[in-house]
Amino acid sequence: MVPGAFNITIWPIIKIFVIIALAIYATFAGVVLKQIKMMTDTLEVGFEAPVRFIGLAHFLFAVAVLIFALIIL
Amino acid sequence: MPDIFVSEEIDKKKSRPPQPPQPESSTPPEPIKDEPKTKSQREALPGHTHNPLSAYCYYPEAVDFETKESKEKIVLLLRKHPITNVRWIVISVLMILAPGLLNFFPPAMVVPANFRLIGVLGWYLITSAYVLENFLTWFFNVYIITDERIIDVDFYNLIYKEVSEAEIEKIQDVTYKMGGVARTMFDYGDVLVQTAAEVPNFEFLAVPTPDRVVKILQDLRIEEKQEALEGRVR
Repeated sequence: MVPGAFNITIWPIIKIFVIIALAIYATFAGVVLKQIKMMTDTLEVGFEAPVRFIGLAHFLFAVAVLIFALIIL
Repeated sequence: MPDIFVSEEIDKKKSRPPQPPQPESSTPPEPIKDEPKTKSQREALPGHTHNPLSAYCYYPEAVDFETKESKEKIVLLLRKHPITNVRWIVISVLMILAPGLLNFFPPAMVVPANFRLIGVLGWYLITSAYVLENFLTWFFNVYIITDERIIDVDFYNLIYKEVSEAEIEKIQDVTYKMGGVARTMFDYGDVLVQTAAEVPNFEFLAVPTPDRVVKILQDLRIEEKQEALEGRVR
């Protein structure tokens, strides 16, 4: 067996799993965003804008990491 | 000899002139004892605050909820005491600092740099989800007491919520419990409300000043009973 053959075969498989995991996470972040909207509609306490911003930032962060992973992996 | 006794009292009642019928529900509902009428009165109340992150707000101003009726007044907004957040905040700080330890972990160096970078970013995603879930769970898990009912909004996790309510007049029993060092030091505890509504038990968990909450609920119950006796219906 050629030294380094393990490295050649394992990393593309890991890459696929990482991309799938990040895509699932981005979907989850989208669901969270929707849930935050529903909750702020259910209950208004005068702090809706910052909460929605936090949810949006989380979603954008998840999408950015997914795109970044697609580029650099 | 006939055994018949005629009460004098009955005779008196019979001879009394007929009373005019009392009008029902004609008088407007009276406000609860210390209901503030003006903004300055509201601000002078103990427990009144403008902080949207407050765990105890007496007569909150900017609060509204989906099923609120137009004439319904929110008396109290409750959340878990902020001190209950310390645990997840400490864990979050440790999670933020954790990737820094990778440099002291030689096996991690076997992983290519690009995978390590994505791994660290993925770790921060998980950290942000953890922070977000805990914050939102605390923020949206509120207990609202209005002059007509109690509402329990539960936000169990990021994708599940439950809203339950019971009318004040259906409350049967209110108790509170405080125990332990932290609860005694920071003055918070659980308020347990038993009702005859569809949801038999309401638990206001780890709310600040539970004794005041119970007192407010008792006042509202008395007020509701008074309204029922006088036939005042909103």
